[in-house]
Amino acid sequence: MKLLRELMFPLIAVIAAFIVGGILILIIGDDPIVAYKLLIGSALSWPDGIGYTLFYATPLIFTGLAVLVAFRCGLLNIGAEGQLYVAAFATAWVGITFVHMSAWLLLPLCFLAAIIAGGAWGAIPGVLKARFGSHEVINTIMLNFIAVALVSYFTQYHYKTPGDPIMETTEIGGGAHIARMGKFLPGFPERIPLNLAFILALVCCVLVYLFLWRTKWGYELRATGSNPTAAEYGGISIRKQIIIAMTISGSLAGMVGINEVLGYRYRYYDGFSASYGFTGIAVALLGRNHPVGVLLSAILFGMLIRGGIFVDAFTNNVTKDLVDVLQGVVILFVAAEALFRGPFGRFGLLKRSKV
Amino acid sequence: MKLALWLIVSILLGLALFGSACNRTSYSADDKSKIHVGIVFDIGGKDDRSFNAAAFAGVKCAETGNWPDGTPCGKPALNIVLRDIEPGNPTSIEPAMRAFAERGYDLIIGVGFAQAPIMERVAKEYPNIHFAIVDGVSELPNVASLVFKEHEGSYLVGMLAAKKSKTGTIGFLGGMDIGLIHRFEGGYEEGARAVNPNIRVIQNYVGVTDSAWNNPGKGKELALAQIGKGADVIFTAAGNSGLGAFDAVEQAGTQNGAATHFVIGVDSNQNMVKPGFVLTSMVKRVDNAVYSIVEDVVKGQFQAGIHVYGLDKDGVGYAMDQNNQNLVTPEMIQQIEEAKKKIIGGEIKVTDKMIQ
Repeated sequence: MKLLRELMFPLIAVIAAFIVGGILILIIGDDPIVAYKLLIGSALSWPDGIGYTLFYATPLIFTGLAVLVAFRCGLLNIGAEGQLYVAAFATAWVGITFVHMSAWLLLPLCFLAAIIAGGAWGAIPGVLKARFGSHEVINTIMLNFIAVALVSYFTQYHYKTPGDPIMETTEIGGGAHIARMGKFLPGFPERIPLNLAFILALVCCVLVYLFLWRTKWGYELRATGSNPTAAEYGGISIRKQIIIAMTISGSLAGMVGINEVLGYRYRYYDGFSASYGFTGIAVALLGRNHPVGVLLSAILFGMLIRGGIFVDAFTNNVTKDLVDVLQGVVILFVAAEALFRGPFGRFGLLKRSKV
Repeated sequence: MKLALWLIVSILLGLALFGSACNRTSYSADDKSKIHVGIVFDIGGKDDRSFNAAAFAGVKCAETGNWPDGTPCGKPALNIVLRDIEPGNPTSIEPAMRAFAERGYDLIIGVGFAQAPIMERVAKEYPNIHFAIVDGVSELPNVASLVFKEHEGSYLVGMLAAKKSKTGTIGFLGGMDIGLIHRFEGGYEEGARAVNPNIRVIQNYVGVTDSAWNNPGKGKELALAQIGKGADVIFTAAGNSGLGAFDAVEQAGTQNGAATHFVIGVDSNQNMVKPGFVLTSMVKRVDNAVYSIVEDVVKGQFQAGIHVYGLDKDGVGYAMDQNNQNLVTPEMIQQIEEAKKKIIGGEIKVTDKMIQ
C-alpha cells in the first residue's frame, strides 16, 4: 500500500505531462492521438520497439541509481556524465590493450575497469567534500568537462585508427564483447543492441536496494543523508560516508560504459552519451529515489527516446523536441510536489528547520 | 487506497492494450505508389545554415520543386514522399535508419561521414533498399557515396584570396583537425601559390572533437590572431565556428568605407552574412548531389559506388552575387574561370590532401 501511494504521484505527473504535450501537438497542427499512437506503438512493438526501449533504458537505470545513492547520502551527483565518460574509455582501453586475451579474463577486467574508473572519478569530489568541504555540485560539474576533454585527447592522439575522420578508438578485442539478448531469446533478432548489461542493471537495482535498506552500511549512509548531525552524534563518520557514497555513485554511473562499449559499438566513440548522466537526475527524481522507481522511470524515458524518433519522422509537424517537452513537464510536476512533501522536502526545507 | 490501486492497474492495463493494438498499424496515409525517401541528418540538425541545411534544401527541392523557404529551386518536383529525422544523439542514428528501412523506403540518405559505419551495418541487412551517404564512403552494392572535390573549389577561392591580399599573408581556419578539412586547406594553399608563389598561409584548427564545429568564440579568437600576424583574407572551413571569423574581419574595420580584411565562407553561400566583408563562399552543392541521387532512384537509374562532385558537375564552386560583386573584379573572375576550365580539362591537377 505504501508503495502504491509512492507510485501514485509520479503517475499523475506523467499523465499530466501527456495531456500538456497533447495540447501542444494540437497547437502545432497535428493529431495528438496519432502522435501518441506512434510514440507508444513504436516504443512497445515486438521486438524492435521493446528491444530499443530497454536498450535506451539501461544507461538511465545506471545513472538513475548513481544519483539515487548519492542523494540518499544528501549529495547531489551532477557528475555522472563525466564518470561514465571516463569509465567508458577505461573499459575500451582494457579491451584494446589486451586484444588477444581470452574472454574469461578479459570480460571481468573490462567490467572492473569501468567500475573502478567511474568510482575513482566519483571519489574525487567525494574526497574534496569530505576533506575540504568544497561543494560536490560545483566539483562534479567541473569534473565533467575535464573528463570529456581528457578522454577526447587520448582518443584523438593515441587510440584512434589513423586516418579515421570519426573520433573513435580502434575496436576492442572480440573477447570483450558481451552477448546480445538475441543469443538467449528465440525470435529476438541479434541486430537489436539490447545486451546483458540490461540484466546487470536489474541486478544493480536489487543490490542497491539490499545495500541501502538491508545492511548496516546502507543504514549509516542514509542516516548521514537524512540528518548528518544526528548521524555523527550516533557515531557515524560523515566524511567516510560521503566518500563511500560518491564512490559507489561513480561506479554505478561507470557501468554505462559496459552497455555502450562492450555491448553496442565495441569501441569508445566521442559523444556516445546522450546526456545520460543528466537525464539520470530526472530519472531518480521521478523514481522517488527508490530502485524500483528508478527502474520504472528509466523504462519510461527509454520509451520516450525510442518513440521520439518515430514521432519526428512520421508526423508532419511534430519534431523530436516533443520528447524534451514531455520529460520537462514530468519533472516540473514531480518537482512541484516534491518541494512540499516527500524526500526533497525533507532534504531541502525540513532539514534547515531541524539544524 | 483501493481507489488508487484500481486507478494504477487500469492505467497500466490500458497502456499495455493500447501499445499492443497499434503494434502494426500503418503510420500515416503516405501514398504507397510514390517513391519514399527518408533522410537522417547529422547531429547538427537541418537548420545549421550550412551542410545539413544544404542537404535538406536538396530533398525539399526534389519533393516540392521549391527551396525550404518556398521560392522555386529551378528543378521539377519528383513526386516523392519525404520524411526526415534529426537524431540529436549518436545512439539514435541507427534506429532512425532502421525506422525507414523497416517501412520499406526506397532511398535512405545519411548526412555526414560519421554515419558511414552505421549505414553499412543497416544496408547489409536491407540489400533491396537504396542508400546514399553524403561525405562518407562505402563499398556496399546498394550504397551510393556522394563525395565532393572540395580541393578544387578551394583552389579557386585560394587564387581569389591571393589576388585580393595586399599584405601577402592569408589565413585558413579549419574546424576539426581531420583529413576532410586538410583537403580544403591543401587546395586553398595551392591555388594561392599559383597566383603568388611567395604568399604566406597561416593555418589554425579550432579543435579535435565534434565541438570544434560549434565554437564561434574560439573561431573569432583564432581569426583575430591571424589578422594580428598580417593575414587580410581568411578562408573558413569550420561549420558554425567559422562565423567567428566573420565577426573578426568586421572588427578589423573599414577604410574609406571599404573593408580592409575579408573572409571566405564555406559549404552554403554565406556572402550575405556580413555583406562587404565576405569575398566569396566556397560552395559545396550538397543540394545538387542529393537531388540527383533522388532523381536517379525515381528514374530507376540508381548506381552504387562513389559519385564524385567536382567543378565539372557543379558539385563545388564559388558564389558570386550582389553582396560581393564590388569586391571581386572582372579580371579576377576571368582568371579563375580560366583556371576552372584547366582543372576540368585536367591541365591543372589539384592535390587531394585527404588521400595522402
